[in-house]
Amino acid sequence: MPGPQKRSSLRQDDIFDAVVDLETSLFQQGFDDGFISGVRLGKDEGREVGLKSGFELGEEIGFYRGCVTIWKIALERDSTLFSARAQRSIDHFDEQLRAYPLTSPEDERLQDLLASLRVRFKAIMAMLSIRLDYSGYPKASSAGEISF
Amino acid sequence: MAKKLGGNGAARLGFLHQLEGHTDRVWGVAWNPASRSGGAPSMLASCSGDKTVRIWEQQSTVSSSSPSWTCQAVLDESHSRTVRACDWSPNGKLLATGSFDATTSIWEHVGGEFDCIATLEVKIHGHENEVKSVAWNTSGTLLATCSRDKTVWIWELQPGNDFECVSVLNGHTQDVKMVLWHPSRDVLVSASYDNTIKVWAEDRDGDDWRCVQTLAEPGWGHTSTVWQLSFNMSGDQMVSCSDDLQLMVWDSTVDPSEWTGNGGGPWKHLCTISGHHERTIFSVHWSRTNGLIATGSADDCIRIFAEDPTNVASSVSFCKVLEKQKAHEGDVNSVRWHPKDPRLLASAGDDGVIKIWEFEQDL
Repeated sequence: MPGPQKRSSLRQDDIFDAVVDLETSLFQQGFDDGFISGVRLGKDEGREVGLKSGFELGEEIGFYRGCVTIWKIALERDSTLFSARAQRSIDHFDEQLRAYPLTSPEDERLQDLLASLRVRFKAIMAMLSIRLDYSGYPKASSAGEISF
Repeated sequence: MAKKLGGNGAARLGFLHQLEGHTDRVWGVAWNPASRSGGAPSMLASCSGDKTVRIWEQQSTVSSSSPSWTCQAVLDESHSRTVRACDWSPNGKLLATGSFDATTSIWEHVGGEFDCIATLEVKIHGHENEVKSVAWNTSGTLLATCSRDKTVWIWELQPGNDFECVSVLNGHTQDVKMVLWHPSRDVLVSASYDNTIKVWAEDRDGDDWRCVQTLAEPGWGHTSTVWQLSFNMSGDQMVSCSDDLQLMVWDSTVDPSEWTGNGGGPWKHLCTISGHHERTIFSVHWSRTNGLIATGSADDCIRIFAEDPTNVASSVSFCKVLEKQKAHEGDVNSVRWHPKDPRLLASAGDDGVIKIWEFEQDL
């Protein structure tokens, strides 16, 4: 008969539900614990990486800033020191430096602007016939085999 | 008057001379632009993996039999690694050589002797690794160099044979294989391992150079390394060759510095020539005298293409005129038409020799 059978099958379902739920709830608990732990670890690692990248970026921009300051002072003393083209390039470089969004870490243009700063710096070095380096100086080339 | 060869008759590429002497693969050949001008003999420069550059001269003669070639000079003091590229200045007096040692040297031809008159201080201040190509602009005032470091440098020739860096061009994401100037404008093109061709022009205000177009749209651009580029005589068309086994012809009529910026770019894709090469096409050269396109390939062949005379459609198309198999015993690295004589073609190969060919076609 449907009634009593239903009641008894409901009871049976409850038992199975509990077992099934147990697996799901344990899984969910594990996931939640893992997620919280992951967020914490991620934040710590992110902070480390962020500090490191930020420092490197700051060091590079600061290095360029220092170079431009020296060049401008040298030019004040002797305006014939560098060719007209080199002076224009230094001025342009100065403008680009000032406009660099150092305090906006989420700015999408950060990498591209940095690449164009690096390239202009290389050109200025060639125009002034000098070579400036510091230990963290980035290189475009990667260690690798010769290609033809 | 440029005589357009490439009719319907049988075509032949006859072997004339073999120039031997290099002890490693020959990467490039360059005809001196002054060849056959005012009685001057034909002169050819070749650069090689043996770290030297050789200058070859053909004895000038009025006799009909082909005069012989001799090696006039071996330039071997300047580079410490493979010399990968060489290019004569438009007046034929200066030769620029680019090397895997990351430097570019400039040589001057004075009275039969070659002196290394200047070494661009590119090793220290410029390219960081192997220089792949060097190119003079048409007025001989600017020299472009490119390298595996992904950059293109533009140098200006100053009085006293000094060179000043004008600009460093960033944009390619991989090794830049070749740079070339437009024949009548100060517009530079570059070909790269990143499958693209970039067009560079100077900003109207100031000496900043920027990329005005990248020829790489899906469906148009090459799908693998672009090795070389060549303009036709008038500069209104350019051909490119690639590892993707295709040649592409581009419409380069529009002056990029006058382009206003709507719709893609000043230059357009005209046609693709495919199905003729079995391996990478390393070299392409469009003759300034006969309108033919020559290619050198990794399948050891030289092929010649001409504009299809039977084509009735409004767009251009090209057909293969000739295929010379086993032109070299190894990859053909460079093919170059003579600047004045429409029949002569020079080729350089992995077999360490340079060959001079004569193109003939029945009408």
